[in-house]
Amino acid sequence: MKRNLFSLLSLLVLASLVLAACGSAEATTAPEMTEAATEAATEAATEAPAEATPAPIPDVSLATFDGSTLSVPAEECNGDYIGLIQSVAAVDASTVVFTLCRPDPAFLSKVAFSPFAIYPSEWLEATAGDTTRTSEGLEAPVGTGPYMVSEWARGESVTFVANPDYWGEQPAASTLVMRWSSESAARLLELQSGTVDGIDNLGPEDFAVVEADSSLQVVNRPALNTFYIGMTNTFAPFDNQQVRQAIAMGIDRQRIVDTFYPAGSEVASHFTPCAIPNACVGDAWYDFDVDAAKAKLAEAGFPDGFATKLYYRDVVRGYLPQVSNVAQDIQAQLKANLNIDAEIVVMESGAFIEASSAGSLDGMYLLGWGADYPHITNFLDYHFGASNPQFGVQSPTYTDLLIQGAQIADPAEAESIYVEANNAIKEYVPMIPVAHGGSGTAYRADVTNPQASPLTNEQFAFSAPGDRDTFVWMQNAEPISMFCADESDGESLRACDQVMENLYGYEVNGTATEPILAESCDPNEDLTVWTCTLRQGVKFHDGSDFDATDVVATFNMGLNIESPTHVGNSNIWSYYDYLWGLMKKPGS
Amino acid sequence: MTAESTTIATLDPEAIASKSTGMWQLTLRRLIRRRSAMAGLAILSILVLIAVFAPALSPYDPTISMLDADPPQKIKARTAPCIHLFGCPADQPQHIAGIDGNIRDQFSRLLFGARLSLMVGFSTVTFAIIIGTILGALAGYFGGWWDNTIMRFMDVLLAFPSLLLAIAIVTVLGPGLINALLAIGIVSIPAYARVMRASVLTVREMEFVAATRALGGNNMQILFLRILPNALTPLIVQGTLGIASAILDAAALSFLGLGAQPPTPEWGSMLGAERNQVFTAPHLVFYPGFMIMLTVLSFNLIGDGLRDALDPRLAHSS
Repeated sequence: MKRNLFSLLSLLVLASLVLAACGSAEATTAPEMTEAATEAATEAATEAPAEATPAPIPDVSLATFDGSTLSVPAEECNGDYIGLIQSVAAVDASTVVFTLCRPDPAFLSKVAFSPFAIYPSEWLEATAGDTTRTSEGLEAPVGTGPYMVSEWARGESVTFVANPDYWGEQPAASTLVMRWSSESAARLLELQSGTVDGIDNLGPEDFAVVEADSSLQVVNRPALNTFYIGMTNTFAPFDNQQVRQAIAMGIDRQRIVDTFYPAGSEVASHFTPCAIPNACVGDAWYDFDVDAAKAKLAEAGFPDGFATKLYYRDVVRGYLPQVSNVAQDIQAQLKANLNIDAEIVVMESGAFIEASSAGSLDGMYLLGWGADYPHITNFLDYHFGASNPQFGVQSPTYTDLLIQGAQIADPAEAESIYVEANNAIKEYVPMIPVAHGGSGTAYRADVTNPQASPLTNEQFAFSAPGDRDTFVWMQNAEPISMFCADESDGESLRACDQVMENLYGYEVNGTATEPILAESCDPNEDLTVWTCTLRQGVKFHDGSDFDATDVVATFNMGLNIESPTHVGNSNIWSYYDYLWGLMKKPGS
Repeated sequence: MTAESTTIATLDPEAIASKSTGMWQLTLRRLIRRRSAMAGLAILSILVLIAVFAPALSPYDPTISMLDADPPQKIKARTAPCIHLFGCPADQPQHIAGIDGNIRDQFSRLLFGARLSLMVGFSTVTFAIIIGTILGALAGYFGGWWDNTIMRFMDVLLAFPSLLLAIAIVTVLGPGLINALLAIGIVSIPAYARVMRASVLTVREMEFVAATRALGGNNMQILFLRILPNALTPLIVQGTLGIASAILDAAALSFLGLGAQPPTPEWGSMLGAERNQVFTAPHLVFYPGFMIMLTVLSFNLIGDGLRDALDPRLAHSS
């Protein structure tokens, strides 16, 4: 009897353990999915809920693909189809024509962005699986770039070797090794001991150390990013515009930048960094003024402040190099200047992105944005579009202006629209732009042509590691996968950039676009048709020739949700969805 | 029946009092003879004094930025210690342990950190001892079904690495000091329950317990008045050593960002926040680490001394 009872009990315990284990496993996979998709991915998730959750009505595919043409019926452009691309067609072996639903002045900047690298059509079909790509597809993509993946030792390093058939100049180092460490002190130690040639994201305190060391060199990365304090205006008291304005005036942003940011950082006068055309037209942000802020807060009905929360994720990014210090300083300033008690809440990265972009955080939150492609639409339209719920309800005063501005190619012509838009954002205060954070890379002194790309896509083929023939690079984190058509994580994209090439690319250490696999892409009068002439004689790593069908097949893989090649790692396709729009419409 | 039980009750306190004062005096005498234990006790006394008088001893508010201090000080984050006695120019404000990443006075934070760490140590161990003692006593005294249920559950708790289990509990409850205390308290229960059960198993077979039972004492009287006081010694030793590991666990949780939340000064979180500055600003990592080490060391020394002093087998040799 006693024995029976005991075995029953142990069974119960065992069962509860199993249940607990399964429960936690389910709970952890969900954030991982969103972790893979960074800031931009979340819009994809909200726009395409059918992929994430079993929606009652699945989306309807609009795409037709016959091997040389990928298209959506032209009348859908004025219907429910919200995507940008109407068709991609291979006219002959060396000509591809993109037809757009709407004019897009940023077309070349978008085409040059890493996820839209060109894959060989045969390889795409060969690696298309039922659910995910084969490990070959995820870990050793076939491209046309100067390097090819030779080995990926998971958790350790990725080794690349030079592509002997490369159409351009051979890379300076015949072998490239990528390693990673999340701790800036560990990265610097590796560099100092000479085991790596270059490291990413130097710790803010370490700039002086590296500058004082004659065997090392620093390269400052221009601040093409924004750190902001978000407020969701569907929660009280942030629904009161005067409260938001008071907080905007009551935080000493200069002090934050002076104390916590490395050289090359600047206080944000506007949301978009000023290096981008039209970013800094209109009035500069509110000056720090404690008295005015207090008066504003009292006027709003909170003379004694209030209690709220301050959310962040403990993740270092170029826009926020010292996360917890900045959070604590903002907490201290809110208390000292406005008597606002902000409780600090640190969240897991994926959960934080999910909650903040869904607009479900009931306090202030610290987040930022790094440029995907250097155009004002990448900053303003993404954050302040009417469909983005991350700040609660957007004001139509600027959402309408942004739609107008996005269709004008000439920056000078669009200037007056962006003056109004920037001023409207300042007036409405959906968030408080704080800083454009400079960051830096460090290299051994004998590395020639050291890079720190503003878009964080360093091309190591252009850097020579002294007289050594192996270049070792150490970054923050391991790539998630190297099938970058379906990745959005910067550490993954940088690895892909060594192997893959796009029709256009960004210049080394800059943001201007230059032709790579295309010889040129020329628009028609109203920027809706782009005709690309392709480079001849380019070979993929697997020996196949590059031609126009590869370009069409690549876009078919990314945009056509019915295509058997439309399988990736996370299957979120965040950048294909966010920058072009997948070829589908909501089912009815 | 009533008459009998009152006699027991009136007899009890005297008997225990006379017995225990003798034992405690003896223990204290033995403890004083042990130098290492006295060193531990000295360190601990200083720490307790620091904790009690932290507001008076600390030159600044531990949560305030020097930029907001009165008068404001123009000083850079992570400035090295400036002590006037050791040649730091007198026109610079004195910061004995330097400035932390948020331009706060590190010395003040260290002093206030002592408060938190000692509080963490005592409160978690008290919590664990109370729960653990009750569970262990019930399991040991009643045996059978009670014993099986309670001790198997304790075995399940023990099967997990304690810090991992604490992290799991904090993850469920949400980060924060109180939750961290609860988590550390919960994971240290099994140790006390086991110690208590073992003592109860020995004591319950002794003659004086049988005598109490023969006199008509009920279970509660026997358990709490007879057995518990006699099973206390190993618990005291375990508890003293337990405080040390509780402080370490709390520091580890705070290091991981799961314990005390900013701007609360806590040694573990101070260490964790500045771990990347170990080469550029070593004082920010060294001092909190040193304080943790000192506290844990003091409890370990005292615990060691107490164990020796309370162990009757060692009494004759010393």
